[in-house]
Amino acid sequence: MNTSTTKSRFQLAFDNPRILGLALSAPAMLAILSVVLIPLVNSLWLSLQQRDLSRPQENAFIGLKNYVDLLGDPRYLNSLQATIKFSSFSVLLEILLGVAIAVVLNQNFRGRGFVRGLMILPWAMPSIVNAAMWKWIYNADYGALNALLTQLHVIENYQVWLANPQSATILVILANVWKETPFTVILVLAALQTIPDDLYEASRVDGATEWQSFLHITLPLILPVLMIAALLQFIWGFQTFELVYIVTGGGPFSTTELTTLRVYATTFRSLRFGYGAAMAYLTSLIVLIPAIVYIRSAYRKVVEL
Amino acid sequence: MRRTLKPLFLYLAVAGIVIWTIAPYLWLIISSLSWKIDLLTVPLRWIPTRLTLENYYSLFFDRGGESVNVQLFIHSLGNSSVIALFTTTICLILGVLAAYAIARLRFKGSNFLVLGMMAIQLVPPIILVVPLYVIMRQMDLLDKRIGLILVNTSIVLPLVIWLMRGYFASIPTDLEDAARIDGCTHLGALMRVILPLSGPGLVSVMIFAFIASWNEYLYAFIFTNVDAKTLPVLIGEFSTKLGLEYLRIAAAGVLASLPPVLLALAFQRFIIRGLTAGAVK
Amino acid sequence: MKRSPVYLFVSLLLALSFLLTACGAPAAAPTEEAAPAATEAPPPAAEGETITVIFPKHEADLGGAFEARIREFEKESGVKVELIQSDWDSVADRVLPEMATNGSAYDVVEFDNGWVAEWCGAGWITPLSDFMAAGHTDDMIPGLVDLFSCPDGKLYGIVWNNDTRFFYYNATKLEAAGYTEPPKTWQELKDMSLAAKDKGVVPFGMAPFWNQEWSLGNEFHFWTYAFGGNIVDDKGCFQFKQDPNTLAALQFMMDSLKDGVSNPAGLTYDQAASQDVFLKGDSIFMPQGIAGLMAYTKDPAVSQVDGQIKVGLVPGVEAGQSAALTLPEAYAIPSGSQHKEAAWKFIEYMTSKETNKVLASEIGLLPIWVDLYADPDLTAKYPFWADFQAQLQTARGLSKLTWYGDFVDISTAEVHKALAGEQTAQQALDNMAAGLAQFECKP
Repeated sequence: MNTSTTKSRFQLAFDNPRILGLALSAPAMLAILSVVLIPLVNSLWLSLQQRDLSRPQENAFIGLKNYVDLLGDPRYLNSLQATIKFSSFSVLLEILLGVAIAVVLNQNFRGRGFVRGLMILPWAMPSIVNAAMWKWIYNADYGALNALLTQLHVIENYQVWLANPQSATILVILANVWKETPFTVILVLAALQTIPDDLYEASRVDGATEWQSFLHITLPLILPVLMIAALLQFIWGFQTFELVYIVTGGGPFSTTELTTLRVYATTFRSLRFGYGAAMAYLTSLIVLIPAIVYIRSAYRKVVEL
Repeated sequence: MRRTLKPLFLYLAVAGIVIWTIAPYLWLIISSLSWKIDLLTVPLRWIPTRLTLENYYSLFFDRGGESVNVQLFIHSLGNSSVIALFTTTICLILGVLAAYAIARLRFKGSNFLVLGMMAIQLVPPIILVVPLYVIMRQMDLLDKRIGLILVNTSIVLPLVIWLMRGYFASIPTDLEDAARIDGCTHLGALMRVILPLSGPGLVSVMIFAFIASWNEYLYAFIFTNVDAKTLPVLIGEFSTKLGLEYLRIAAAGVLASLPPVLLALAFQRFIIRGLTAGAVK
Repeated sequence: MKRSPVYLFVSLLLALSFLLTACGAPAAAPTEEAAPAATEAPPPAAEGETITVIFPKHEADLGGAFEARIREFEKESGVKVELIQSDWDSVADRVLPEMATNGSAYDVVEFDNGWVAEWCGAGWITPLSDFMAAGHTDDMIPGLVDLFSCPDGKLYGIVWNNDTRFFYYNATKLEAAGYTEPPKTWQELKDMSLAAKDKGVVPFGMAPFWNQEWSLGNEFHFWTYAFGGNIVDDKGCFQFKQDPNTLAALQFMMDSLKDGVSNPAGLTYDQAASQDVFLKGDSIFMPQGIAGLMAYTKDPAVSQVDGQIKVGLVPGVEAGQSAALTLPEAYAIPSGSQHKEAAWKFIEYMTSKETNKVLASEIGLLPIWVDLYADPDLTAKYPFWADFQAQLQTARGLSKLTWYGDFVDISTAEVHKALAGEQTAQQALDNMAAGLAQFECKP
């Protein structure tokens, strides 16, 4: 350790948390903003306009009319509800499964390293491949799911899973959970490493059961990482596109239609860029508010720890 | 943490986990080695009577044409690798610095930064694509690897910052305080105390950043044409007017998933017991 | 600490480099009024010019026949071609940002039948009449040519892919069901399907592609036309709402699912899946098969029906009625192109009778020149084209609407809902009209 007590004024200034903090985070912020800022402002401006590319004679500034129309657009509202359902259930399952799997993978067993490395496989798959794979698995006449279930005598006949709203939703969530869970597993696994053995030793000496150890030692200590994982997974749930586009196309009759599909259809197919931009920002806004509340409370919890 | 689960339950659980993780991928591999018509049989044969390398072959050779495709596949593989490597490196450097600043240094605007980053993450990239396209075109960054590195960074960096901040926050401050009392600056504390302690977190974030960049699809698709095309984009092109060419996608998907998995296998042993045992003492 | 300044320095460098690359001209709004074709004659093509061409790879073009032809064009004309070929969806999504921002990256661009009215309205393409010799398209199939003109009457695209769909049936299985002739009416098709199902010849007569996606819009058009109905009239005014034939078509589609004529899995199928079932031999009728389907039937990798498939005429409500759907794709020149003359040379060459014949011969590309259907070499190679002839006369294209994207968006949702049995056919049509009300033409 450098025990020199003489520091230059430069070093002292830089050691000031406020200046240093800004200096350290500035490059990252610059990197993000330089890409994102102008498009953000541009498309935000676009959302306040009527911009149907195939009818340029109708271009006009219309203020918040797009947003107002959206709030009364049943198809959009349906997609919002579908996305919230999709994302929430996905996150719930991902967290539960993720923690359970991480705990198991944290144990000592033969081949542990190999299984841990293998664990990343679903997350490592390109999303197009994942979507195509599940679409084929769920195929009504020849798919693997039907084959498996009939060969195991769980069902008698092949089912058209994706034509039924309930089963379609469940299967789409399942495909998403399969793909996304490894993220939570590895995050939690890494967090589990930082928990010292002594804590468990001490609790065992005190006579606590494994479940109690888990509840009172493990869980609180991985909670910060878990909350971040949950938030990220929730946000990513809202950005899911390929999976649903390829597997169901939004069907049956729009019951799995996510907001991303609506934005894509509105901008890239209907060429209504103003309305599409408003749709994107309204969705972000609707998710932003609970997310902020969530972060505030999570941050407070983390600080308290 | 060591739990004394009964060995039987443990191995059952491990088996369950492995099956859950691998089964669909195994089916993908089997499909990629089959003729389409054999996959349409009812009842389905899990191991088909005949296997074929045709789907892999078609990735690299046009049937009866010149082998333009092999160049494309390997070229895209190279692009994906370069872009992912550079993106990961940049994001790790910038992200760790920023995450440290947010987690440890109270400075004005740190909260605002965090919320701002999250707000940006919430905006669906598809709405930013067209204005971004104009900018990239004007700066001649279209269909160039550096262009993709830049936009990928904007996607991956928030992820890195979020995750590293979480790991930093979970490390008790005692060690740093001790170091600072000994005369270390903030950055010194970061380098000598925090980074080593967050080894497992750092490795896992590195793996995530690499995979996120490797699999990034939307920007890679819109901003490239031929030169800088990445692997997921190439795979996305395996379709006709009628629908996806499932078997070709399966074959390419099997190959495309391997590098990230090999990377994870290589680095997973760094997600081991940290150096914390006894450190506080 | 000795190390800290170094890291700071590196970060500052990176920040600087981002700053430098980030300062750019402000983004233009995604749409500017695209200038229509130049009023003066464009400059003649120079030798050694390079043009960029983007269009999808034809599904039958496994050996690069199009590319080979393009290299021939390069040799003959001295114009270099940067060719970008990928799948239809990728081309569509790639082309859009460039066209929407009035770019000049492409000189010859894919121009799909469904985009015509939209692109005309947006002013994204150049009229070909500026370059074309009069009478150039006289001997092409008229129905195809007309599909690519704008309301101003000028021609903006020339067809390179005559993607007309035809009625195929499995003659062997039909015989096993007790019929030797293909159905002439939809009622006959229904009876035949049910008979085949009863005898256990096939599980279902048809496996349609009625997934909630873009191609369901195509299907809706096809069935409407096949029942003698209309979606919109020439002016784009709603017809589907009140046309009894359109209602009958939708009703037939719905009933076919209930009665066991159509495979209910069809609600989740795209065209490829539908074709898979047909080639496996698990369906008898393929009302909208691609022109190159015969080649697929001979491929043992995907087919078990080699030699069993024949071409018929699309049935109608009454015998003698028939209509088919054509989904052609054309070459067009974007308004922003800097090499329009050279681009025209490319289009002229690639849509010439000679090129058409070469491609038809090599990959079975359906010709756009009427004469080629009587060409002895081609008819020897593709005898079933004789069956196509009659159908080609009755082929109709998609509706030409500046709001076609919205139409597909709403119609697919409503039609899918009706097909799934969640609403009646009339409700579906009413909902469509309500959802598209803002586009209703004013009286």
